Amino acid sequence: MTNSEAVGGAGREELVQRIELMEAMIGEGRRLTARYGWAFLLWGVIDLAVMIWKWLMPHSNWVGLWAWPIGLITATVLTIAGVTAKKRAWGVATNQQVRMIVAVWSVLGIAMLLFVGGGMLSGFTWQVSYMAGLLIMVGMAHAVSAIVLRWVGQGVFAALWGIGGAAMFLDPTHREVDLIMLVELCLGMIVFGIYTMVLERRYRG
Amino acid sequence: MADIDPVIHGKLRLAAVSLLAGVEQADFTWLREKTGATDGNLGAQMLKLEEAGYVSAEKRFVRRKPQTVYRLTVEGREALMKYVAALKRLLGGVL
Repeated sequence: MTNSEAVGGAGREELVQRIELMEAMIGEGRRLTARYGWAFLLWGVIDLAVMIWKWLMPHSNWVGLWAWPIGLITATVLTIAGVTAKKRAWGVATNQQVRMIVAVWSVLGIAMLLFVGGGMLSGFTWQVSYMAGLLIMVGMAHAVSAIVLRWVGQGVFAALWGIGGAAMFLDPTHREVDLIMLVELCLGMIVFGIYTMVLERRYRG
Repeated sequence: MADIDPVIHGKLRLAAVSLLAGVEQADFTWLREKTGATDGNLGAQMLKLEEAGYVSAEKRFVRRKPQTVYRLTVEGREALMKYVAALKRLLGGVL
């Protein structure tokens, strides 16, 4: 039997196409984590909006007290709604890598809830260690993701968050703290979100 | 010729089995989105794979909506490996 006679007359081309199909599909299964750039963008934009809101109304006690809770609750609700809608539209598949990434970011979410909630209730949100803790926790989640995904790009953003956290210990003024937070939100959230979405679109295209 | 498993060889079935080989489990919607198949066609092909014992299907309800979750069985994984080996033999130098 020659190759061209293989599989009831199916040619060599067809068999090669089958191999290409298998490679493409197995590759798809390994790219389960690539669709969440929008969530970083969303959190970055909402956090930035809260910062601007507070800057515009520096003397309002109400804004000072409620701007962050409102922003964080809005971001959480929109993220859950977005993830649910995406799951409904695109379906769900899991592997060990996905479970690890979901675990890291879920645990970060819970830790942030306790940390930010505790900070707000106690009024310690302007302490250096509080701000440093926030930034370093996000950096750690990025670092674990980068290691699991073997993604150098995300590792760079993890380093950025870590550097921001360390910079908090250089005795910054309130204005410098705002500047560090602004840089972290713009680069670490918004730019990272857009970067991930561009990579995803390039891959899909 | 005899080495090629006709159940695996079908294009959509091969796509589904290959997708499931890269994940622990996947629902019907995810498989449909990745393969670009219609509901009816994919459902029929998944049933063939299920009947051959290559995939297992678990039907459940998520927020009151039915969801079918598929997993590749041990037999399915072995069949896929045998299929790849058969292709290698048939294609020889190409691989």
